[in-house]
Amino acid sequence: MPPVCSAGHERGPVNATNRWKSTPRWLLWSLLTIVLWGTWGLVSKVASAGVDAYSNQLLYTAGILPLMVFVAWTVHRNKAAEKREHRTAGVFWAFLTGILGGVGNIAFFEALVKGGNASVVAPVTALFPMVTVLLALVVLRERLGRVQWLGLGLAFVAIYLLSA
Amino acid sequence: MHAWLGFAILALVLWGITGVTQKLSTNRISSERSFLWFCWAMVALSGLVLLLVRPHSALGIVVVLCSVAGGALNGLGAWTSFRALESGGKASIVISLISLYPLLTVVLAVLLLHERLTWMQSAGAVTAIAAAILLSLEPNSKVEP
Repeated sequence: MPPVCSAGHERGPVNATNRWKSTPRWLLWSLLTIVLWGTWGLVSKVASAGVDAYSNQLLYTAGILPLMVFVAWTVHRNKAAEKREHRTAGVFWAFLTGILGGVGNIAFFEALVKGGNASVVAPVTALFPMVTVLLALVVLRERLGRVQWLGLGLAFVAIYLLSA
Repeated sequence: MHAWLGFAILALVLWGITGVTQKLSTNRISSERSFLWFCWAMVALSGLVLLLVRPHSALGIVVVLCSVAGGALNGLGAWTSFRALESGGKASIVISLISLYPLLTVVLAVLLLHERLTWMQSAGAVTAIAAAILLSLEPNSKVEP
């Protein structure tokens, strides 16, 4: 049902609630992700004024622990429904992702400690899909579309402009 | 080359590789279990850091809060991005939309930290976000209204 405009004071909040409820869930989760990751860049820059990248990694991990407990509970709850085949390989790749991601975090933070502005470091590091796409091209032999080739070209231009 | 740029590119390369390893993981196990083992790796890496490096002992409360918040925000962001994909959002749209997050960092850094961008850097930030969106689109994917 399309939202109904009303000048009545009583109906205003009801319509606002309906409009909120009609917003797709995926859009709300996506917007929340933007807020969380966008703010992460800011707080990291503030922290970089008083802590080295290694100590930050320890505190960063402390920050992730409550979520880890919640996710562990979710995994335990859904254990019965999960397939067991290929689990070892899946866990290996997930663990490697964490190690690479963690070392990447240290490098990201070091970039801020070395004087990089959050407004420049965040856009540069956000270009990481260019490496994923290049690896998919070279290692996984995936084909790239025209749009992705354009994205790759723009990524190199962006790095040049941001480093100026 | 500036030292900060070298580290930023190192982060870009490492995070780029995780795009492939994460895919190899979630092809075999659930996204929750994959995220859990991602976190265990963070714990292991922190253990290694504790063994090899003497951590900063005298830290201000604001710095500690911001560092801990950094982990919480990044972790929660990863979790909400999974929820966005699981809630029926098309991967090409969700990932492209999420790629806008540096734009918020730029706005917040300019407004709250009073950072200033040259016109070339401003153009670079916009180009980077456009590039990240284009790179996130799957080949032959069509964005439907």
